[in-house]
Amino acid sequence: MFKHLFKLIWNKKKQNFLLISEMLISFMVIFAVFTLVVYYYSNYKNAMGFDYDKVWVINYSNSVKSTRADSLSLFYETLKQTIKSMPQIEDASFVSSNSPFSFNQSNGGVEYKKRHLNSVDFFTADNDYPNVVKVKVLEGRWFGKQDIVYKNKPVVINQSLKEEVFGKESAIGKILGNEKDKEADKMRIIGVVADMKIRGDYKPAGLGLYNRLDTGSFKWIGTILVKVRPTADAAFESRLYKTVSNAMKESNVEIEHLDNKLKKINQVSIVPAIILLVVATFLIINVALGLFGVLWYNINKRRSEIGLRRAIGATGKSVSWQLVSESLILATISLVVGSFFAVQFPLMNVFDMPATVYIMAILLSVVFIYALVLLCSLYPGKQAAAIYPAVALHEE
Amino acid sequence: MIRLQNIEKVYRTDTVETLALNSVSLDIAKGEFLSIMGPSGCGKSTLLNIMGLLDAPSKGQIRIDDQKTEGMNDKQLAAFRNKKLGFIFQSYHLINDLQVLDNVELPLLYRDTTAKQRRELAAEALEKVGLANRLKHFPTQLSGGQRQRVAIARAIVGKPEIILADEPTGNLDSAMGNEIMEILLNLNRNDGTTIVMVTHDENMAHKTHRLVRLFDGAQVQ
Repeated sequence: MFKHLFKLIWNKKKQNFLLISEMLISFMVIFAVFTLVVYYYSNYKNAMGFDYDKVWVINYSNSVKSTRADSLSLFYETLKQTIKSMPQIEDASFVSSNSPFSFNQSNGGVEYKKRHLNSVDFFTADNDYPNVVKVKVLEGRWFGKQDIVYKNKPVVINQSLKEEVFGKESAIGKILGNEKDKEADKMRIIGVVADMKIRGDYKPAGLGLYNRLDTGSFKWIGTILVKVRPTADAAFESRLYKTVSNAMKESNVEIEHLDNKLKKINQVSIVPAIILLVVATFLIINVALGLFGVLWYNINKRRSEIGLRRAIGATGKSVSWQLVSESLILATISLVVGSFFAVQFPLMNVFDMPATVYIMAILLSVVFIYALVLLCSLYPGKQAAAIYPAVALHEE
Repeated sequence: MIRLQNIEKVYRTDTVETLALNSVSLDIAKGEFLSIMGPSGCGKSTLLNIMGLLDAPSKGQIRIDDQKTEGMNDKQLAAFRNKKLGFIFQSYHLINDLQVLDNVELPLLYRDTTAKQRRELAAEALEKVGLANRLKHFPTQLSGGQRQRVAIARAIVGKPEIILADEPTGNLDSAMGNEIMEILLNLNRNDGTTIVMVTHDENMAHKTHRLVRLFDGAQVQ
């Protein structure tokens, strides 16, 4: 029977071409939506990697006029000690502007044994950073006073970068950099920390490398992260603001809460997905109505054939099954072509997403299209089964 | 072979009730070639549809090959039609998207047969109607007479004991009509197939063993 249906479909290829194209386009759109959904969901499932609760961000414009690094360092260290001495503060840390949930980025490349990796996030943080964000040190250690003097610059990397470069091997003591680099510019890995989803719930942690904040960094650093105690309230926030503003008279100071910043960055991530989802929903409704209409039209056009099939031995169910099967075969042709294109995404590593995301999206899209086609053809199929053969044959 | 007892068929709408067949009783013997005549709207096709189990009578009983057909469900009726009955229609009812051979194979698709068996039986049936050289043609590439011959091949491919033909020569000129009639007579004569044919053509009707006339749903001869 399947061979017969294939033959029927093949001989009507011109009429079926548009229907196949419609299903193919729907598949590609659904594939895009599911890719985004699966990607966001798989990122969402991953742990945040750090504690952002009760962490406040103090942003300031660096207005201290001193050009001497030592004086600057002394000024900011004093400021930090002043902040830390406040009873509602647990700890504080200077960090680069690409702090968690900030929209800022600082990307670069690293090299290990002639293998170059791009798009690595470079962060700068001081010794107290893990105490503020409670990030886990998985291997080695975080920066300490012993790192002030070094032959190779000490760095800490995140788990993703460690796995990407070293796999299951230990990364501690390994040197990153080019053979031509000076010894002081080469980077010695002293620790590995857990991945931190600094771009919000729906984005991956990415590859990350942490540099230790040194005296020279204060020229451009403009962010302090503070971990506050549960008792810290709006009145305290006001006092903290005054303390920092008084210390830096000509600076613009702003205090934000990391949990609020997370909400904002999540919104920014999810809006394109929602737009795509809305567009896809309208498209799917159109496709469903189109498919339903075409199948209904086909039944009316094929009443004589349906009547004949009933006369020569087909049951109502088998006529209904035939029409549903024809739709599913057309869907299969579309899905084979669509899957061929979709599978190029993981093969060519488009958008740098994990292959599993694409494969899961392909599977979900296939199931969705089959379900849609089945749903749209069931009722017309049922109508076909109800055609009375004597009437259908007489009409011709 | 076919026994109709007091068949009555009433078509009802909200406002009108039409009596299409009024107490028709008919016995058709095995191997008989019977023609049914009558003016348009007298119930000929309705009677044929009832004999072909495509329509159910409002009253009365039908026995085909000593089997009661009342109470058969859709599946049983479909299987019965497939094995016992062959249909020929005035407008052929061929599927234009399928080649001649595939059209003829159709009834066998609803039986437990292999593709090879279907091919062989369909080719054999087409040879019988003189279309062995048109297997790969599409119905639209054939003349009216050839199309009707394909329809006959489709009706006989499953070797049914009964053929029900509804004005098989109605759309054909007299020469082609005679050709088709000859094929039907041969089937009846050589294979012993019971044939019931509805026709408007007196000449064709007189070539059959028996003629039944209907008028206003009642049997008058």
